[in-house]
Amino acid sequence: MSTVAIAAPIKSRLGIGASLKRNRRWALISSYFFLILFAIFFLMPPYYMIVTALKSDAEVAHMATNPWIIANGITFEQFYILLFQTDFLVFFKNTVIVTLCVVAITMVVSVLAAFSLGRMKFWGSSILATGIFLTYLIPDTLLFLPLFQIVKSIGLLNSYWGMVLIYPTLTVPFCTWIMIGYFQSIPKELDEAALIDGAGHMQMLFKIFIPVALPGIIAAMIFAFTVSWAAFVYPMAFLYSADQQVLTVGTVTSLIRADVYKWGMLMAGALLAAAPPLVIYAFLMDYYIAGLTAGATKG
Amino acid sequence: MGTRITRRSVLKTAALGSAAIISAPYVRGAYAAGKLTLGCWDHWVPGANKTLDKICNEWGEKNKVEVHIDYITSQGEKDKLTAAAEAQAGTGHDIMSHRDWNIQVHQRVLEPLDDVVGQLIKQYGPISPVAEYLAKIKGTWRGVPTAVGSQVKPCQSRFDLFKEHAGIDLQDMFPADEAKYDKAKTDKWTWDTFLDSAQKLHKAGFPVGLPMGQTSDAVDWVGALFNSFGVVMVDAKDNIKINSDETRKALEYLKKLMAVNPPEVYAWDDAGNNRWMISGKGSSIMNPPSSWAVAKRDNPTVAEKIWHHPMPMGPKGRFVGQLPQFYGLWAFSKNKSAAKDLLLHMSQRESMAQLVEASFGYDLPSFKSMYDFDTWKKVGPPVGTAYSYPPRGDEQTSMAGAPARAEVGAQIYNQAINTVMVSKFTQGNEKLDDVIKWAEKELEGTLRV
Amino acid sequence: MADTVQSWGPDSIPDTAKAPVRVKGLQKFMRRHSTIAVLMCLPLIIIVACLIVYPAFYSIYLSMLNKSQTRFVGLANFTYLLSRDTFWMVVKQSAIFAISAVFFKALIGLITAHLVNNLPVKGQRKWRGMLLVPWVIPLALSTLGWWWLFDPTHSAFNYILKGMGFEEIAWLSDPYWARVSVILVNVWYGAPFFLIMYLAALKSVPEQLYEAASIDGASAWQKFIHITLPMMHNIIAITVLFSLIVTFANFDVVQIMTAGGPRNMTHVFATYSFLLGIRSGDLPLGAATSLFMFPILAIAAIFILRGVRKRGREIG
Repeated sequence: MSTVAIAAPIKSRLGIGASLKRNRRWALISSYFFLILFAIFFLMPPYYMIVTALKSDAEVAHMATNPWIIANGITFEQFYILLFQTDFLVFFKNTVIVTLCVVAITMVVSVLAAFSLGRMKFWGSSILATGIFLTYLIPDTLLFLPLFQIVKSIGLLNSYWGMVLIYPTLTVPFCTWIMIGYFQSIPKELDEAALIDGAGHMQMLFKIFIPVALPGIIAAMIFAFTVSWAAFVYPMAFLYSADQQVLTVGTVTSLIRADVYKWGMLMAGALLAAAPPLVIYAFLMDYYIAGLTAGATKG
Repeated sequence: MGTRITRRSVLKTAALGSAAIISAPYVRGAYAAGKLTLGCWDHWVPGANKTLDKICNEWGEKNKVEVHIDYITSQGEKDKLTAAAEAQAGTGHDIMSHRDWNIQVHQRVLEPLDDVVGQLIKQYGPISPVAEYLAKIKGTWRGVPTAVGSQVKPCQSRFDLFKEHAGIDLQDMFPADEAKYDKAKTDKWTWDTFLDSAQKLHKAGFPVGLPMGQTSDAVDWVGALFNSFGVVMVDAKDNIKINSDETRKALEYLKKLMAVNPPEVYAWDDAGNNRWMISGKGSSIMNPPSSWAVAKRDNPTVAEKIWHHPMPMGPKGRFVGQLPQFYGLWAFSKNKSAAKDLLLHMSQRESMAQLVEASFGYDLPSFKSMYDFDTWKKVGPPVGTAYSYPPRGDEQTSMAGAPARAEVGAQIYNQAINTVMVSKFTQGNEKLDDVIKWAEKELEGTLRV
Repeated sequence: MADTVQSWGPDSIPDTAKAPVRVKGLQKFMRRHSTIAVLMCLPLIIIVACLIVYPAFYSIYLSMLNKSQTRFVGLANFTYLLSRDTFWMVVKQSAIFAISAVFFKALIGLITAHLVNNLPVKGQRKWRGMLLVPWVIPLALSTLGWWWLFDPTHSAFNYILKGMGFEEIAWLSDPYWARVSVILVNVWYGAPFFLIMYLAALKSVPEQLYEAASIDGASAWQKFIHITLPMMHNIIAITVLFSLIVTFANFDVVQIMTAGGPRNMTHVFATYSFLLGIRSGDLPLGAATSLFMFPILAIAAIFILRGVRKRGREIG
């Protein structure tokens, strides 16, 4: 860290104590001040969505009152209709099924591959690792037409199981890449010790690496969860029956009819759809952060 | 009076036709009981899908064919995505609905339907020229025009505001009975009159709201205006004709007209003008009655002051943008003769009447002989508001992009070259000649094979 | 680990050991390091080959056909695109969109990460969670919320501006404001991700470095330039790279907010490709447009990854 040595040759040892304290105080106050500004920026749209969801259709249509407050009384009508008179709960159930399956598939595939690519090294393994990363660069708008043929030929068109099949294309490359980095960050001595003890590769993976790499695995899981929960282009192209639809596309397509928007219900749907990820992040955020930062910087 | 006689004779043929369906040239093919799947446009009117279900199921039960319909929204062009993917994969539904140019897009994988459409023309008389332009590709019908989702976009105005601020009585000019149209009065409804009213209404605080984005509402009304000014972008023989005095006149006119529109019209999608009208701020838009129907629910005091009426007239006539929908039968369908039979059944006058009724008059058949359905006389309030929604009097239908070859027209339409050109001139303040030069270059791009 | 070996029950003995004679060759084969390694990669290889590589090559083939897909035209679609002004505008706008969005995401992420890091440890989690909300709402749905905020006629922002006596802003109808708006939404969505990554990286910087610098009398800015930034170089490069990829290929935000308008000025590659391929029915041309993204991204990726590797070696 030669950089530190260059830093500031000025030495002022006088009165450091008191002024440091005062500086800290000011730093804290200004931090809060600016954080509040940023929080307003970040939370304004969700706030506006909540307000809109709690308004009546008529209030939204008139546009006569202050849009930021609910002038004509709170109504839960939008939520009620959404839950009991539309297919929203079907979308929700489908999304849960798809997401759980995709997360499971992704984790099996990418943990195995990442272990192999990150720790075992074989002929062509580094090319393969780079190739996996490059596939992340191919936009999904380019792939959906050929994928349509594939999905159809397996008979999974207009079925959410088709999504279980193709969402991994969105999750696997990134998760593998993160896990490669994570596995590589684990000290060499660990597997050498295990090898001396005669453990096979599988035992090594399950008994040593998976427990050690748990934060990374959880981070990858959350990533896979987020991506499959929010996927938009593929279900838009491949699902058309309401009983097979997922949340993102279902909410948009069943609540916007031609040039008629049901704003209140749309916002209610968006909020409910955001709830599960919100809960997951609230509980697992620390793992997510720890895993991502460790995995992403290596590799 | 001439029109009335033809209409009556058309009706007579129609009645005969539906009675004598078996003796018609359309030969019902033999097909075993089986299954038909349809991918149909998801209607925005709640319950309209059920009517289509009913019509198809009736036929299915009688013919022992299991009919399954998936309703696919046009939101985010989802229906086009699905159609593109099915055409590419060579597999999917048997029958699909296609909007605007999609028959042309998929012409190579669509079954010829000359027998079905021929039979329908025999029964119900001439078909709208716009529908013919869009679905009869190189002399072959590849799609059957349907009422569902088909629309025209005439004026939808607040008659109270027009009377109060512009001194025009729209209800008197366009009463809810075509026979009472007075040519002396309707001839006064020109683009100049419209501009004059728009300026007055703007001053009064109720501007007209004419979208100038890149979606169909904008493209359609500008296309109609261009037509009535005689503007041709590309002719049927691939000649670029945009550099003309007509274009200059139309653009100069639009500069004045757009100045009295709210500035946000350049960002409106197809819902923008609806909201403008429903909120009560707007005095006139060019739209099917969907905005009126929503206003009836959410802002009824506005709805009861809305009147639908023909478009203003220009030097070359009175045009209204039409956007029909079609059913296409994939060439790879396994049950074609059953599908054709169902298509014929869905297109019968009785079926169409039910569909129009279910959509409160929003759906518009492509046969002029069906413009006499009761629905348009009945719906309200105000009663008669939708009477002049179907083209009445001297109003002709138009399609932006025509008369170019359909392949070329589709590019012109979808890339919204007409509205982008107008925006460059009216919003971007580019020079008239530069704008025309830009359009020429873009149009040249659409001619690519 | 020694007792692990002894405690292996019969279940955990490798299958190959149970029939020592018959499958001796196979056992040897299976035991081979690289064979197992390849087998473990197999599911990944299958998924990538069938569902990414094959479709990608098919799309390349598709992009070399004529509009009706009846004739092979080689690179004609690409040369056609390169000759169009509108396409060059899309290239420019995609670059402006992606670069400025990623820049502001990184900047806001860095600032907010510092701010949160200044707080007492107890309160940090709460703030972090609050600021993470945009990242958690499915993008397609939150964009709809933004669109409703920007609604041309009834923008809730303009309500505030008007109330404060300012001029209303034509958020989506003025092409330049529309560009600002789509970037703003993208920054809003992506900045929280940068925030949490940077916050974690900040925490990993050894405290002693700062203390040493303080004793030397370094200002906060000097500490940032000479300690924080070099320590965070890697994580910044990686986050910027990934965000660049995702932002460059973005479809949802632009499609929902402006669909490319006004006057085509907000189109990015994905939306323009959608317009040409799906809306206008020229699939090969749409595929060609999408394909232009790949080399640009690949070049960016190579540069950034190379930087990261080099850095990693220096530090490591």
